[in-house]
Amino acid sequence: MSDDLTMDSGALIFATLADVYLSSGMIDEAISILQDGLSRNPTYSLAKVILGRAYYIKGDIEESLKVLEGNYEELKGSENTNLYIGHCYKKLGEFEKAVEYYNITLKINPENKDANQELKVLVREPKQVVTEKSEEVAKPVAKDEEEVVEESAVTATVDHAAVEIAPPLGTQEVVEVQPEPVAEELKKVAAEPKPPSVKEIPEPAREEKFEPTPEPVAKAEVQKAPESAEAVREIEQPVVQEEQKEEVISEPPAVKETVAQEREKVEVGEPPVDIFPLEALEQPIKRLLNMKAVKGAFICSKDGLLIQNYYEECRDIELISAMIAAIHNEAEESFKFLKDGSVEKFIIDKIEYPICVITAGESLLTVVTQPEAKPGLVFVYARKIIEEIREILG
Amino acid sequence: MKVAELTRMPKVLGAGLGTDDGFIIDSQFTVGYDAEKSAAMAARVVNRIKTSLGVEKASAILYTRNNVFFIKETDAGIYFVICQKDANLGLIKIKIDKLT
Repeated sequence: MSDDLTMDSGALIFATLADVYLSSGMIDEAISILQDGLSRNPTYSLAKVILGRAYYIKGDIEESLKVLEGNYEELKGSENTNLYIGHCYKKLGEFEKAVEYYNITLKINPENKDANQELKVLVREPKQVVTEKSEEVAKPVAKDEEEVVEESAVTATVDHAAVEIAPPLGTQEVVEVQPEPVAEELKKVAAEPKPPSVKEIPEPAREEKFEPTPEPVAKAEVQKAPESAEAVREIEQPVVQEEQKEEVISEPPAVKETVAQEREKVEVGEPPVDIFPLEALEQPIKRLLNMKAVKGAFICSKDGLLIQNYYEECRDIELISAMIAAIHNEAEESFKFLKDGSVEKFIIDKIEYPICVITAGESLLTVVTQPEAKPGLVFVYARKIIEEIREILG
Repeated sequence: MKVAELTRMPKVLGAGLGTDDGFIIDSQFTVGYDAEKSAAMAARVVNRIKTSLGVEKASAILYTRNNVFFIKETDAGIYFVICQKDANLGLIKIKIDKLT
């Protein structure tokens, strides 16, 4: 788009980031970023197109249309704008308008496979699509099975197009496939050479999270025959409930599980909620132990009981922790006697291994260092991690 | 004499030399600090370190909220220095090491 050239680098970044979020299935985050970015760069057309697409993927068709049509004057030269408006109208059942926008898309880019495919489907089953929806409820199960065959064929085709043209739409395209074609039409289409299976389509990596790979497998399962009566009933639902039921078809439990797993993967960065406090100590302590001058460390309570040991070389660690606590308490008592506050930390200059002790709440972090260690540096590091330990141990 | 060298350093509140049973040999302290108590405290800590860790000559630096205590056991006795927390602790430590 020509306006891409006029945007500033900041705008480019937020739109790119939003696009990545979209392709990762983080739709709400993408919308949030786009809204924020557009408030700062209201003339950024590409972001508007992506926002429209994000709403469409989210299933908020009205909002998508509001964004895309609301800025149509500005965006009308955009291939994707017209394509997504077409998708929206198709989703709303306004097929004539959908065809109109798909045609505009093709005028802009005659090779737009997605628009071509959609047009093919819509033109092939023109008004029947509308009229047969009401009759669909009474269809026998056998026909429904054929429909499923047809549906799968069409979805595979659309998927193919979606992968090539507009990757993030893949899943949605499956949802929005027009159901209930007439039986003859179904048979014809079923007889047509099927497009390459979805498995064979080299999907871009970013597509994977949004359209989990098990989906084609799930579709194949449906294609064979709806095994349970529930599945058949889902297909037989009237047009009014079409969207919901189609979602059920296109997202069988296996797929839902996969989506949940994918979301979990996305959320890997979050810390586990129920982590045991002592396990939480590991990370800050390990940072300290990574210092060359540090031989080991351990945490003990002020009454000398060992809490956690990171000084494997020492066999009498319990004895040492008791001794350290004793020294601390002795100093503490002495300072009370001097009315000079309490001990925060202390260094014992032992020739073989200087010992740095830092109080952390009711615990003592003891760091055993090499003779050449710089105690100041140890304290700097220890001071940083001590706050974390204080939070953990209280 | 050696104690005076220590107290000349900036932000040092006082210094002294005591025996291992807590008696004062020599000291110089600013007003408000009790040299005898400090010597007793130094001896107590040194003895605890020696008995606990089995070191021959104990040496420690103790940090409180406002002050820092240096304690060093030598053949002459136990040196102890009290300074403000923002004093140059490294320099004081070097000075103590040189004196001993």
